[in-house]
Amino acid sequence: MGIFGKSKLKQPADERLFALTTAAVTLQVDVGLVFAGKAALVFKPLSASAFDDVVKAADELLDSVAHDSGSKVTRETDSFGYEWVIVGDPELEDAVAGIHLLASELEQQGFGDRLLAALFRFKGEEHPVYWVYGYKAGVFWPFVPTGGQERDNAKELELKAKLEQELPIESDLSKWFGMFDAPV
Amino acid sequence: MKRKSYGRDAGLTSRMLFTTFLLGLLYVVFAVVLFNVLNVALVPMILIVVGLAFFQYYTSDKLALAASGARVVTPEQAPELHAMVERLCAMADLPKPKVAMIDTDMPNAFATGRSPKHAAVAVTSGLMRRLDPEEIEGVLAHELSHVANRDVLVMTFASFFAMLAGLLTRFGLYAGMFGGGFGSNRSSNNNQNGVPVWLAVLAISIVVYAISWVLIRTLSRYREFAADRGSALITGAPEHLMSALQKISGQIAVIPAQDLREVSAMNAFFIIPTNVRQKTAELFMDHPPLEKRLAKLAEIAREMGRPVS
Repeated sequence: MGIFGKSKLKQPADERLFALTTAAVTLQVDVGLVFAGKAALVFKPLSASAFDDVVKAADELLDSVAHDSGSKVTRETDSFGYEWVIVGDPELEDAVAGIHLLASELEQQGFGDRLLAALFRFKGEEHPVYWVYGYKAGVFWPFVPTGGQERDNAKELELKAKLEQELPIESDLSKWFGMFDAPV
Repeated sequence: MKRKSYGRDAGLTSRMLFTTFLLGLLYVVFAVVLFNVLNVALVPMILIVVGLAFFQYYTSDKLALAASGARVVTPEQAPELHAMVERLCAMADLPKPKVAMIDTDMPNAFATGRSPKHAAVAVTSGLMRRLDPEEIEGVLAHELSHVANRDVLVMTFASFFAMLAGLLTRFGLYAGMFGGGFGSNRSSNNNQNGVPVWLAVLAISIVVYAISWVLIRTLSRYREFAADRGSALITGAPEHLMSALQKISGQIAVIPAQDLREVSAMNAFFIIPTNVRQKTAELFMDHPPLEKRLAKLAEIAREMGRPVS
């Protein structure tokens, strides 16, 4: 497993992140959506130097892996005070692997509770389609922003209906929170 | 040419009267039985219930607003909402009620108040966010119809004896548990070898409560249909209320409009509010199923010669 060798005790939440790569085929064939080459991990930083060190180490690790796979890694802080690590890679598999690597590194250092979500951007429709992966519950939900604070709920429900068989989708619709103005 | 009025539905009115008649019959039987079984003990209890009912009736607007966390807004704070309510009130020939907002993402609205002069309509911020102005107008007209139909008065009367039965059930249970209760003033010959009085009262009360519960709910559903009809009459466009209902009670209503990061910050990181769903269930209870309301509205729209999508 190469770079995943460290995580012998796999977190159940992480295993489910990879469901997205299998669902990619259905997404393309049934819905006409393809990965837009952008993914991100969102977490709330701690103002402790230990946390900074871990993030820095994870970042360097990700950078070295990214160098091999050809991914581009950038970082951003948003207005809510959340840290975004953005992975740009045309291949969904590489992007998922990159996000997984970073997340599991943070988890292993004991900062798993700082993880908020992972975001994967897809294209093929009028508006971008995001698959949000919530780390706490280990489930996905669709998010289709249409500008401002608006979102296309009908499209999201359609995506749920079509992908339910392949993706672990959050069944409680009241938890389908948006990520407006996502920098991916 | 005089046009046909759409405000009345003869079938609905007769069903409403029939339900009310059944409820009245049930209450009369209940009262007769109670007076025969326990004569004196009943008087203070009826006084309590009358007091409660009056309190509820007179404070209904303030109670409901406070219980739902609604705050009354001034025309300066919500100019569009106020303008809309004013227009609809002018149409329906009603005094303008208090206008209130509830700060929650769940799309919902309600009306309350003992009379049109002491009424209030409240809408949630989720409703304002999700619905178009025409749809909001349809919902407001529905709520104003509740005010015009005096639904608080009707339902307070309808549930009066149900309250009494509920209270007696509780007293009956306590009496049974502690062995005393209603027994203090009964004559000994009336209860020598039969079932204890408290048990009889308990049984009757439970039965009355159960039947009245069903009847009240039925009546409440009829009142909803009547208010839907009223909304169609006031706005002249039932299709807007139809699309509003679909948005409010469909699946879409549950999907939040907030940002995940915002919510996480408010709820001590990752604890997502769970009371959202309970609230909808609470407010939508006593309402007829969505399909039936839509079918009725479509019928009205056809009568009016309006397009139905």
